[in-house]
Amino acid sequence: MAGIVLKYKIPQFQEYTIHVQKYNNVTNSSELRSKLAELPFAYIDSKTVISVEQLSSAIYKAILETEYNRMRTRTIHSECILSLSPSSNIGDALNRFGIKEGTTDIIVIKIIEDSNEEPYDGNASVDGDLVPVSDDEFSTSADKEIIKTVCIPCDKL
Amino acid sequence: MSAEIIASIADVLTDNIPLTPISQGAEAVVFTSPVHPYLPKNRTDGDDKLYILKYRPEKKYRHPVIDKTLTKHRTLGESRLLAKLRLIDGLNVPKLIGCDPYHGCIWLEFLGEDLPNGHGFSNLKNFLWMNASDPYSDLVRDTMINVGKQIGLMHWNDYCHGDLTTSNIVLVRAGEDWQPYLIDFGLGSISTLVEDKGVDLYVLERAIISTHSSFANRYNLWVLEGFKSVFESHGKAGLGKYKDLIRRFEEVRLRGRKRSMIG
Ligand SMILES: Nc1ncnc2c1ncn2[C@@H]1O[C@H](COP(=O)(O)OP(=O)(O)OP(=O)(O)O)[C@@H](O)[C@H]1O
Ligand SMILES: [Mg+2]
Repeated sequence: MAGIVLKYKIPQFQEYTIHVQKYNNVTNSSELRSKLAELPFAYIDSKTVISVEQLSSAIYKAILETEYNRMRTRTIHSECILSLSPSSNIGDALNRFGIKEGTTDIIVIKIIEDSNEEPYDGNASVDGDLVPVSDDEFSTSADKEIIKTVCIPCDKL
Repeated sequence: MSAEIIASIADVLTDNIPLTPISQGAEAVVFTSPVHPYLPKNRTDGDDKLYILKYRPEKKYRHPVIDKTLTKHRTLGESRLLAKLRLIDGLNVPKLIGCDPYHGCIWLEFLGEDLPNGHGFSNLKNFLWMNASDPYSDLVRDTMINVGKQIGLMHWNDYCHGDLTTSNIVLVRAGEDWQPYLIDFGLGSISTLVEDKGVDLYVLERAIISTHSSFANRYNLWVLEGFKSVFESHGKAGLGKYKDLIRRFEEVRLRGRKRSMIG
């Protein structure tokens, strides 16, 4: 096991350090929800993510849009949630992929721009059990039926 | 291959992504890379895996703004088409890994392999050459029927390829057999028109005739056999569509002949 937190860089975008954590049995999801705007993280409902590939693909897209086009949302973290979604509406993406009232399994993304931010200390304000980031862990919390609905464009819903 | 083109994309992707050019077409340069564009390390699906980068370089003769818009449009178009095709049950197309429309980049899974005894990359063209000494073997027949099935499946779902040559069909080894995959949807489209589908069939027929003329008749019959089987599996509606399509295919063929007689 490579350590419980996944920390990596994208070959093309060395100036960003990406951290991914997964928590099970989270007890403070409503508190997190009420403070989403202030917390510099992406909190994702684990039910909607099946693999590291799905997640890292969204992170790549978020950074790509930020670097080469423009941010469509306020922060790189909300950009990640938007990039998970087939829809281009941030509210809709948050409803689909963000944490809900009572979400117990949460994936956290923290992206640091090395040149103007402090390294990440690992504290994402989540009360829960930290578990390893892996395809196995992701697929145990994933809900395929939910994924089928959140991953299709809204005009087809 | 132009060093300038390679430098222009190497500059974007940085030294962290080594690129080996493998093909230069009219519109795109294709590279392989041992580096996945974004998967965290140690999570790649194997050490000797390769990834495909299809890069549409800047065209200096176009106005830069128009060029950027066009490149973005085509890159996104091809990516979206591939993503949709990939959802069709039984249809074989490369998996879309990533897309950077601002630099004309599409990342794909690498398909195929080098054929034995220096017969080159495992596309349909080289495969038929390799088997020319036993052209009507079961292996060749099954492969051609499967090629026809892939095209039938694509057309049944109202997608057209637009450039269906024997190099744009890649064979992937599956035990003793070879599974055909359709690649290069740069000219692909969603279309209900029999004309577009008839042209697809005609282009492939011509490609087979021009490179494998002595065996082409049989090859083309096998392709049509597989093609028809997909439509047949959809009952009356399927057969109706099949007939309309073949009628148009024959018209397209006739037009082609006339054109070549005139010169
Ligand atoms: N997914 C893939 N796996 C393996 N090889 C590939 C893949 N995609 C492309 N290639 C190789 O690169 C060549 C060119 O790719 P493609 O046809 O998509 O580009 P193109 O620029 O449209 O080419 P052309 O103009 O020659 O048709 C293919 O013939 C094939 O040999
Ligand atoms: Mg091609």
